[in-house]
Amino acid sequence: MNTKTTLILPAGLALCLLAYLSVFYVNQQEKAILFQLGKMVSTDFTPGLHFKLPVVNNVSTFDGRVLTLDTKSERFLTSEKKNVIVDSFAKWRIGDVGLFYTTVGGDEYQANLRLDQIMKDAMRGEFGLRTIKQLISEDRSELRHTLLEKLSPVAAKFGIELIDIRVKRVDLPPEVSSSVYQRMRAERDRVAREFRSQGSENAELISAEADKQKQVLLANAQRDAENIRGRGDAESADIYAKSYGKNPEFYAFYRSLQAYQTSFEKTQDTLVLKPDSEFFKYYNSEK
Amino acid sequence: MSSEKQNTSKPTPPPDWKAEVDKQWQRISQLGSDFYFEHKELFSLKKVSAVLGSALAFAWLVSGTYIVDQGNRGVVTRFGAYKETTQPGLNWHLPLPLESVKVINVEQQRFIEVGYRDASRFAKTANIPQESLMLTSDENIINVRLAVQYQINNAKDYLFNVKDSEATLKQLTESVERGVIGRSNMDFVLTEGRSEIVAEIKREIQTAMDDYKAGITVASVNLQDAQPPEEVQGSFEDAIRAREDKQRLINEAEAYSNEIIPKARGAAARLLQEAEGYTTAKVAKAKGETERFEQLLVEYEKNPAITRKRLYIEAKERLYSGANKIMLESERNAPQFYMPLAAPASQANSGVKTQAEALRPFEANADDKTNSGKTATAHELRPSRSKP
Repeated sequence: MNTKTTLILPAGLALCLLAYLSVFYVNQQEKAILFQLGKMVSTDFTPGLHFKLPVVNNVSTFDGRVLTLDTKSERFLTSEKKNVIVDSFAKWRIGDVGLFYTTVGGDEYQANLRLDQIMKDAMRGEFGLRTIKQLISEDRSELRHTLLEKLSPVAAKFGIELIDIRVKRVDLPPEVSSSVYQRMRAERDRVAREFRSQGSENAELISAEADKQKQVLLANAQRDAENIRGRGDAESADIYAKSYGKNPEFYAFYRSLQAYQTSFEKTQDTLVLKPDSEFFKYYNSEK
Repeated sequence: MSSEKQNTSKPTPPPDWKAEVDKQWQRISQLGSDFYFEHKELFSLKKVSAVLGSALAFAWLVSGTYIVDQGNRGVVTRFGAYKETTQPGLNWHLPLPLESVKVINVEQQRFIEVGYRDASRFAKTANIPQESLMLTSDENIINVRLAVQYQINNAKDYLFNVKDSEATLKQLTESVERGVIGRSNMDFVLTEGRSEIVAEIKREIQTAMDDYKAGITVASVNLQDAQPPEEVQGSFEDAIRAREDKQRLINEAEAYSNEIIPKARGAAARLLQEAEGYTTAKVAKAKGETERFEQLLVEYEKNPAITRKRLYIEAKERLYSGANKIMLESERNAPQFYMPLAAPASQANSGVKTQAEALRPFEANADDKTNSGKTATAHELRPSRSKP
């Protein structure tokens, strides 16, 4: 019994070790290469458990997820020879893991360096063809597609599958920015002045219109008033004429008497009389 | 006091405890060995290893249980390969070397900040000009701060497809944001375009994240701030003030207009009413006068000579009774009084009075009685006055 156990135990342990050495597993997010004495044997592994020969075979795994190349800010010249500062990034993943291993040693950092170089080159070319305006507004997605199209075959040589290349920042260098700010200030000042002068323009228009309306209103009213007065004058003249026409001689007499009376009505008026008028006929003699 | 007590009692226990523990241990091991020798048949190697083995196996199996909290998902992998996504609750997977689980929170709202960092609630929000300043299509520079809220919608994709999803989201946001704002002009971004721009940014980020199969849903994009840069703030504010000034000037003019036009209307109405009044009065007067005349005329025509005489005398009577009179009976002295008469006749009552006062000292010297008595006879040249 004792001898048996002393045999079984090491044998079991050895078996376990053997089993451990002859399996490997590939994680969902990984890609793997199986080597046999340094020679690449297979790269086509699905995630999960796989077998290998112990010692003879060994396995390297690589990150199969989408990886990022975030470039440093770089100055590029546009077609109008203006400097712009550009930040960009690329998204890639390992396409052909074998090629990736042989060309860049399976190292993400190395791969990024290579990618950075080819990207810079391509971007310099593309930026030189476009104006700033195109770069910041019109051509962004077109630029993205062109770069992607151009660089995908190049990247494929490193076993890299390019997914996306995007420009983040296209900015003017600081020394140009300050003149942009000056221009913006001038532009705003222009707008401000325009607003203010529009304001006074409109105000003048409104108040002038009001003044005009006032004058028109008053003038019209005056006209109508004169018209009405004229009507009154005419009507009264008509009434007088009709009435007094019945006896003009008596009217003259009657009206004259009235007129004398009203013209000498006030008590401080002084009359100098000679007693030889009709009125004083009896003043001088009794007959 | 208590520390004193402890100090006094401390020296005694340690040796006691040690002896006690030893004693107890000896007792327990004695009990154990007694039990072992009494039931020796129970402790064969087979039995012991079976019990131990099954206990280990049980513990191993139990180690595969795990709890997924509400709002989380468990992602189970078998030998590294994705097997399933489990729901909240108590779950079990094959124990460790075979299967493993990662629990991911899929309902938590996460966010990234672009253009600024809200470092802590004490520190002031820090602006990051590199991220926040960007060019618009009219080549102006504006300052934009965005916050993107997102959540994980697919735990499997989140884990296995993209390395560092958050950084990816941030890079994408920066790129998309600049793209969208680069297509718009500044006034649009600063004023009415905000919501449109935000929607556009959100849509584009989501499309790209879906392309990467990142397993992330963008819940919302918030435009924290879109402003002209500090360097030009003053001018922008002045422009805004100018807009207000414009409105103010217009309002003032309208107020003026609203004031004078109704007043003018009122004045016009007054003019018309006055004219109407004049006309009515004039006509009424004409009617009144003519009616009076006509009635008189009727009587006059019955006996013209008498009525004429009567009217004439009555008129003269009224005329002479109301006015100052000077009667000249002879022609001789006429030239002597025309000169002094000129003044009182042209002046009002007060004028007459002052003249009377000016004469007073001269009269006082002459005679006091005549001054208080009849003024008409005091001086030969004074006009006679008829007092009511």
